[in-house]
This record gives sequence, C-alpha cells and structure tokens, in this order.
Amino acid sequence: MAHLSRLEFTEQELETFFRDLNNILVHFEKLDTLDLSNVSPTSHITWTSPPVNPDQPVEWGREEEVMRAAPKVEDRYFIVPKIVDKQEG
Amino acid sequence: MNNLKITIGLEVHCQLSTRAKMFCRCGTDYIGKGPNSLTCPVCLGLPGSLPVLNQRVLDLALQLALALGCRILPKVVFHRKNYFYPDLPKGYQVSQYDYPIGVNGSIDYALQGQRKSVRIKRVHVEEDAGKLVHEGMALMPDQSGVDFNRSGIPLAEIVTEPDIRSPEEARECLMMFRSLVRYLEVSDGNMEEGSLRCDANISLSRNPGEMGVKVEVKNMNSFRSVYRALSFEVERQKVLLHEGKEISQETRHWDEIKHVTVSSRGKEEAEDYRYFPDPDLLPFSIDEASLMNIREKLPELPLERKERFMLEYELTESEAGVLVSSKMLADFFEECLKELNKPKTVCNWITTEVLRNLKNLGKNINQSEITPKAFTELLRMIEKKEISGTIAKSVLEEMFTSGMNAREVISKRGISFISSEKELENIVVDVIENNPQSVADYLGGKQKAFNFLVGQVMRQTRGQASPEMVKNVLYKQLSAGG
Repeated sequence: MAHLSRLEFTEQELETFFRDLNNILVHFEKLDTLDLSNVSPTSHITWTSPPVNPDQPVEWGREEEVMRAAPKVEDRYFIVPKIVDKQEG
Repeated sequence: MNNLKITIGLEVHCQLSTRAKMFCRCGTDYIGKGPNSLTCPVCLGLPGSLPVLNQRVLDLALQLALALGCRILPKVVFHRKNYFYPDLPKGYQVSQYDYPIGVNGSIDYALQGQRKSVRIKRVHVEEDAGKLVHEGMALMPDQSGVDFNRSGIPLAEIVTEPDIRSPEEARECLMMFRSLVRYLEVSDGNMEEGSLRCDANISLSRNPGEMGVKVEVKNMNSFRSVYRALSFEVERQKVLLHEGKEISQETRHWDEIKHVTVSSRGKEEAEDYRYFPDPDLLPFSIDEASLMNIREKLPELPLERKERFMLEYELTESEAGVLVSSKMLADFFEECLKELNKPKTVCNWITTEVLRNLKNLGKNINQSEITPKAFTELLRMIEKKEISGTIAKSVLEEMFTSGMNAREVISKRGISFISSEKELENIVVDVIENNPQSVADYLGGKQKAFNFLVGQVMRQTRGQASPEMVKNVLYKQLSAGG
C-alpha cells in the first residue's frame, strides 16, 4: 500500500500503521458478522434530481491566486517531482 | 502455425464536444491557451470545491450509446477511481463503474465489401486528467510541469468485446467509431490532437476454442499506428508461440519512431482503484421523455448512408466511402445533387478536385468558400461545353482561394471563354485555310493530321475552348469541305 501511494516510511512507522490498519480490519470483520442479506447497499440517501450546469463556459478569473499559493511554478506550469514509472491511460 | 486465432478488443476514449468542462464551468477550448488558464477550484481539485454535472455531457453520451445500439441503464451513478499521479489533483478520477451509461451495443463496419459487426460491452463517461510536461522550460531532470487545462474535460469510453480478428479489422472498426462520433457531432474525433484515443487488447491462440494470453497495447496515436502496432504484436507473439515460449500478460507501449512495442516496466503489483460511489455527486434517474427525444433526433449513421449512396446514386463502395467519411462532405454532396442531379459527375469532382483543394488549404468543406450552388454552376458550364475541364480545374482552385463564383473568376481573368459555336467556327475555318497540307493528309486518312489541327485551333483560342467542342466543329467543317 505504501508503494501504491508512493509514500516512504521508517520501519517504526510501518509497524504503527500495520497495527492501526489491522485494528480497522478487525473492526470490519466484526461488521461482516451482521446478517445484511435483506438490506440493499446504500451509497446515497437522496434520489432527487441534482442540480446541473448549462454548457456555457464561465471564467473563474482567479488563476493568479492559485499560482501564488503553489509551492513551485515555472512558466505557469505547476512543478512537481518527476514520476515516470507509471503511464495511466 | 498459420491457424492461429487472433483476438482483439478495443478501448476507445473520445473527448465529448462540450464548451464547458464536465463538472465545472471552465472552458474546454484549450488549444493555444496558456498553461492552467482554464482552471478553477473544481478541476484543480482544491479542498471544499463541489462538482456539478454539465447537462450536455449526459446528452452527448446518451446519443453515442443509443447510436451504438446500447441498452441505456435507468440510473446515472458516478464512481471515484482512485490512484495517485501528479496529473490527477484530487487523487481520484470521477468515472463510472457498475452503472455505465449504456451496455450491450454493437458497431457495424465494412471491410472489402463485407459487413462486420463488433459487440460493444459498455459506454461510460469520465473526466480527463491534466497534462504532464517532462521537458522544456527551466525544468530540472527530476521535475515535471503540470497543466490542468485538460483536467475535467468530459470523455466517453467505449469498450468492445474481443470480436476483432485482425489488425485491418481493428483499424476499420476504429475508423467507423470516428465516422460515428463525427456524424453524431458528439466529438471531433481527431486522433492526432488526442480527442480520439485507442488502446487495444490482443491475444493469439493455437486453439480456436480458447483465448490466448492478453497483452494490452497503448500509445497508438493514429489509425496507421493502430494497424502497425497490432501487426507488430501479431508477429511478435507468433514467433514466441512458435518457439514454444510463454507470452506474458502485460502492458506494452507502441514506439512510433522505432516501430516496435515495448513492455512498460514497473507495472503496478496490484491495480486496485478502490472504486466507490462519489458522495459529492448524487445519483439520479434518466427521464424517459428526454431519452425518447434524443433517440428521435439521431441522424442517419455512416454505414447506412454509404449503403444508401451506393443504391440510390449508383456509386461504387469506395466512392460512397469517401463521401460519407465526413458528414459535412456527404451533406455537401447531397446539397449539390439538388442543384444538379448528376451523382456520378458531382461525386467525381468532389472526391478529386474538391478534396485536393481542401487539403491544400487545410480546411474542411464547411470552412471553405465554396457553396453547392457555386460548385454546381461550374459543373454545369463544363456540361454545356462553355469551358474545358482543364480550365474548370483552375477556375475551381481560384474559387476556393478567393471565394468568387465561377463567372467572376472567368471575367476577372479575362478569359473570354468561347461559348458560341459560331465564334469557334471562324477560328476553325481560319486554321483549315492556313494548313492545307494537314487537311490533305487528314483527308488522305492520316489521323495524326487531325490531332495537329485540333492543336492549332486550341492554340488560336489559347486553350479557352473545350477540346470536345473543337473536335466536333473541326470534324463538321472538314466533312463539309471534303
């Protein structure tokens, strides 16, 4: 999981996370014992018509503020560490 | 080794032609715009921002799914597809999972006169990611630049069943997808600009009853590279099977320069996207009335139109194919027929001269100055033998560049085109009088002498008479004189 999320941890941190995640899994195992065969999965509680946007562009106009807030900007690009081992479609 | 079974399935992404992005009001017209100029808190993934669906995204996706004969699912649900990558500011892409827009459709295309069908597994919508730039600017080798102008642009993803049997079929099928999205006007379908993208799954098997090991091929940016990449894969896998080696299940990238596919290293050990319904986007039901409305407005699709052109106008498959490859061109053709009902002539001129001029100007027919009225007027002048085909070609060229009609071009150039037979007769009589030897030779049976006389008349008229008409008049005069 640390690899997938591209995070680096010390051995000690990993141990802590291992314990925490394990506790979470144990908790879910407890939930799994409930009989939910008559309950359908619920992701949202409302099923009304949500608001929609018309297909007309509106300029936000505050891009400069974002540029100023970014840690590093070059030629209006946000600069990030290079990652090349994954090419997502 | 020749009885290997090839199995190919396609995954096609096309950018939907909306003016605003999928979940915010930022514009989608990013070509030529400065980096990060079409952005806002939603498509930058800033905390606290909330997405609102652009109604048109749903309409376009429904049109596409209906045109592909899909069953439309009654509910629209958006899922989050989670992965970490710098071009994805939220850490997830809004996509669809167990409730795509449509399922179980099909697309038909023709290859060498044979109609083929590929089943469509699903059509769903999702948002595009940003764009990473790895070189240029003052970038350090370990840095990349991110431009979020593309982030949040709506895409439709079409997944086919593995029904394709050869690289040729894959290319044809993809071209039919392009025609289809262009006909529907749901996408501009431009592969070079990335508004149409295609990945493929391909496997080879010795046993026709079972599928081989699936290899995914990515990074094919043109119809030609789809064909080349898949042909390369067929050969590569054939050799491996022949040598008794295993084919590994992997993702490979097409290298456009070296013309090979290369295994992508560092494949994720577990591609777990942890899909779950997006809590920020409420699911909703598709209203039956608007679905009916969309269904009724679907235009005639390219394959049907091609077959109708062949039947109704007696065109060959390739002629009809060229005309229907673009809806605009096919519409232009049919508009012309309303002015001049000569399908073959109109088709010949469109598929040669009109397309050549458009290509030179880098325009499509609707961007050009030519109207069906002006174009058919020119064709009618050729028919009436007022001008020759050769002159008509150069007149047409100027019509394209100047926007003038045929008569304006002709009078501007001072071409006093020879329209009356009387005028031509005088020139012919002159030529006959001045070339008694050739006349005698012709009457003595030398066909060459006739051609010489035609040449002389053409010279006198400075090429402004139609050769057909010159021959007729000359023949008449010689017969009368002889």
